[in-house]
Amino acid sequence: MSQQSLILPATGTGPGAGSAAGTAKARRNRRLLELAGAVSIAATYIFLVLTQPADIANGPASFSALVALGGFLLGAVLLIAAALPVLPTSTLVLMPVALVLNVVLGQLMGSTGLPFYFDAIGTVLIAVLAGPAAGAATGALSSIVWSFFNPTVLPFAAGAALIGFLAGLAARGGLFRRFYLAPVAGFVTGILAGVVSAPIAAFVFGGTAGLGTGAVVSAFRAMGDTLLAAITKQALISDPMDKAIVFAIVALLVYALPRRTSFQFPFVRRFRVLAGKGPATPEA
Amino acid sequence: MRAPSTLHPLTSLTAAGCTAVITTAAGTWPLSLAVALAAVVLARRAGAGRRVLGTAAAVLLPLGLSLLLLHGLFFPEGRTVLAAWGPARVTAEGLAFAWEAGTRTGACVLVLLLFSFTVSAPDLVAALAARGLPPQFGFVLASALTLLPAMAGRLERIRAAQESRGLVLRGGVLPRLAAVRLQMVPLVLGLIEESGNRAQALDARGFGAAGPRTSYRQVTDPPAQRRLRTAMLLLTAAAVALRLVASWPGAGPV
Repeated sequence: MSQQSLILPATGTGPGAGSAAGTAKARRNRRLLELAGAVSIAATYIFLVLTQPADIANGPASFSALVALGGFLLGAVLLIAAALPVLPTSTLVLMPVALVLNVVLGQLMGSTGLPFYFDAIGTVLIAVLAGPAAGAATGALSSIVWSFFNPTVLPFAAGAALIGFLAGLAARGGLFRRFYLAPVAGFVTGILAGVVSAPIAAFVFGGTAGLGTGAVVSAFRAMGDTLLAAITKQALISDPMDKAIVFAIVALLVYALPRRTSFQFPFVRRFRVLAGKGPATPEA
Repeated sequence: MRAPSTLHPLTSLTAAGCTAVITTAAGTWPLSLAVALAAVVLARRAGAGRRVLGTAAAVLLPLGLSLLLLHGLFFPEGRTVLAAWGPARVTAEGLAFAWEAGTRTGACVLVLLLFSFTVSAPDLVAALAARGLPPQFGFVLASALTLLPAMAGRLERIRAAQESRGLVLRGGVLPRLAAVRLQMVPLVLGLIEESGNRAQALDARGFGAAGPRTSYRQVTDPPAQRRLRTAMLLLTAAAVALRLVASWPGAGPV
């Protein structure tokens, strides 16, 4: 109850009037959904690692592919279902923006010729401005919408949700208040997200989507690693670096925004996400 | 056979999803190849052949080359060695693995692209909302699908504006990064500013309010298509169950 009363009432964007008991129950259901989503993702990962086929000479294992697809997508859908209906409109309208930024900024950064993917800039930006739940929902949803143009993104929805969630947690913990801490948070996020996404690449696609990453995986395979081990090691090389850069870019972007814009988000004001004082507002 | 665009959006969604899942569950390349070919033929018939093939090529070519490089040259599990240069060994098993994985992904990508390039987004959103999905989901989906194509023109305008103020798009990594920053900040700022205005407009029209909503768009859903969807879902469930039972770890050969 006390937690509810701490939330600053954004004008007209509250979750709607309801009895105290009703909102408490709805919040418990939401927590259960979030928990079920996280458990589904974690259980799928552990199951896949424990039961990975010892011999893949007979071709890619359909069994592992189905389990990976089912478990990870179920987790992503549960996370969306938990977060989406309670997000305020001001956050909701940011989600399409995040998706567009993921795609467009990814392409723009690609024009610099650097060997990274940078396809999570929008997700991390929303997570920093609107919190972990919004970040997770944005990551998963943007994978779903992106899959309309590139269906291979769809299975990675759970990894994208994890990135958004961890970015939101880092922002809440104040890691974006110091510029040098943001890449560190990105590095840790990249380790976790890379490890979780590796079974998808290994079992659903049988490899990685890019030639550069494929070459790194080849090197580990040449040393005799299993496919999952090789792809996990490749992810541990590429992803932390990639996410560290993405977090740094987002930190630059957030501080480049006018205070009036960034401090309009209740999450930014409540958890003092950014260094410095906000503009003088009646709520602050 | 009717063109896919006259199908109810949920029917084509179910058909695409079920085909992708069954292809994955079956895991045999002749079926994958047949599904891919069927998707290409249907796309051509629906008049989206060029777009589907172009997008699929952009996705599948790097993936296919990567698979070929990875499994064609390095496949420690392979036994039938066809050629060897130092640590690299071309094995029959590796090539077969790359072929299997490539055709399976190719079939799924083509089928899903066929769906997304022939479905009408407003119809899909209306159909999903009528099925009880949160209206927020429909908003995000439709808004992103309409925002994305407008982005290229917007980025072009920002670049033209910055170039008229002296931005030079040449040189090494650092000048390029500076150029990216000069384009990125106005883009992000504009989008966030706009979304704030949109939120106020939506709220003024009761977007965040609870309660039932009326839809202006009615999508007819013939009973025959409903039965078809049920049948497809049952068939897919059976295929998945069969595959899970047949190759449960420790239950026997895959």
